[in-house]
Amino acid sequence: MEISPDAWVLYEWRGLRLNATIVFTWAVMALLVIGSWVVTSRLTAEETVSRWQAALEVIVTTIRDQIAEIGADDPGRYLPFIGTLFLFIATANILSMVPGYQPPTGSLSTTAALAICVLIAVPLFSISKRGIGAYLRGYIQPTPLMLPFNIVSEVSRTIALAVRLYGNVMSGTVIVGILISVAPFFFPVVMQVLGLLTGLIQAYIFAILAMVYIGSASRSRSGASDPSPNDTGD
Amino acid sequence: MEIDWLTVAAQIINFLVLVWLLQRFLYRPITDAMARREERIATRLAEAKDARAKVEAEAEQLREKQEKLEASREEVLREVREEANDMRKEMENDLREEMEARRKTWEDHLEEARDDFAARLRQRAGHQVIDIVRRVLKDYAGSDLAGQVAGTFVDRLANLDDEARGKLKAAVGRSDGPVRVESSVPLKPAARSQITRAIHEHIVPDIEVEYGENDDLLLGLRLMAGEQTVEWSASRFLGRLETTLDEVIEGSGRRSTERRPDSAESN
Repeated sequence: MEISPDAWVLYEWRGLRLNATIVFTWAVMALLVIGSWVVTSRLTAEETVSRWQAALEVIVTTIRDQIAEIGADDPGRYLPFIGTLFLFIATANILSMVPGYQPPTGSLSTTAALAICVLIAVPLFSISKRGIGAYLRGYIQPTPLMLPFNIVSEVSRTIALAVRLYGNVMSGTVIVGILISVAPFFFPVVMQVLGLLTGLIQAYIFAILAMVYIGSASRSRSGASDPSPNDTGD
Repeated sequence: MEIDWLTVAAQIINFLVLVWLLQRFLYRPITDAMARREERIATRLAEAKDARAKVEAEAEQLREKQEKLEASREEVLREVREEANDMRKEMENDLREEMEARRKTWEDHLEEARDDFAARLRQRAGHQVIDIVRRVLKDYAGSDLAGQVAGTFVDRLANLDDEARGKLKAAVGRSDGPVRVESSVPLKPAARSQITRAIHEHIVPDIEVEYGENDDLLLGLRLMAGEQTVEWSASRFLGRLETTLDEVIEGSGRRSTERRPDSAESN
């Protein structure tokens, strides 16, 4: 039984293997991009909009509101990154209903890649907002002795994020595999339904956590680097 | 579980590409469209607010105008009422004056009619008197009154003034025919010879005298020589009396007094 879609090699050429993770990722990407393009190519600024445009507007607005709720003062800056995280993971997980489909999020490589993206995005957003000097000074706050702990905190956060997503998605697959061998008729259906729910929740949690990291990094360090009576930090 | 780092790298690239594509095809168009719509809605709301404010201002103006109109209407009504009262009084006065004038005219007409009636009564009475006199004279013309008349006529011929006598003579001279003497009744031969003698004596000697009768004279004689005439007759007196009576009636109107004409007036 194949647990990770990484191991499912569809094509191999001189050592470069095209596995199911990448192929299904492309499928998800194609679905998202083409769907968006079809809808947004007929956008109107009138008072009446099509159902699909209304649905997309609801999704985008909701993501933006969530970002704003977490405390980002400019949701538009984080919308492409956080929104894409959510949409990609959610779509990838929901499509697991389709027979023969293996969610790319069930691969540790994918979740690691997404976690690495968050790991890179946190300092990038922080630097773009406050400048590189202020960002680096955050690592030696409140004292230079804290430097190693801060670095470990950053890294472990990334790993935790990666493993959290991978574990949740993968666990669903693993449990379905086990239950199929035990009770091959009824339980897999229930688990599939549950998988839809957990898939959406995971997408939500992953995106929210990424935003929390980005937001907290910007806020706490800006508070530490620029102390003021009204801003005591986290 | 193992991590395929090649796949990790590929997934990172895939994710970044997806971020770019979704930004290109999803987030930017959607947010732009929403921003445009919000702007449009805000614009229309502002327009609606402006329009509402404008309409309210116009309504306020209209209300003020209506109140003014109401006030001016009362004023106009009052003026019109006063004017109507004045006009009514004026018309009443005019009517009263006109009625007064008509009454006066009517009274005048009545007065005139009364005067006219009185005048006609007087005229008719006068004529009646004259007719009676004329009839009386006619009835008595056949008596020796004719002789008296002839005598009187002879006297008048004798007493003619020089001018009249001259005219008579000249007329007789111009005329070839005889002198004609007319009387109301046939004259007796004595009277005729008396008259012929007087003519021969006072006017032209030896002229032929022709005698005739004329009822119009009533009582009296008429001498006609050519175009000249000498007359002494009651008809002429009565004619004069009638003329005088008419003149008096017409001239004095209702205040004319009754006057008795003098029948013995000489010409």
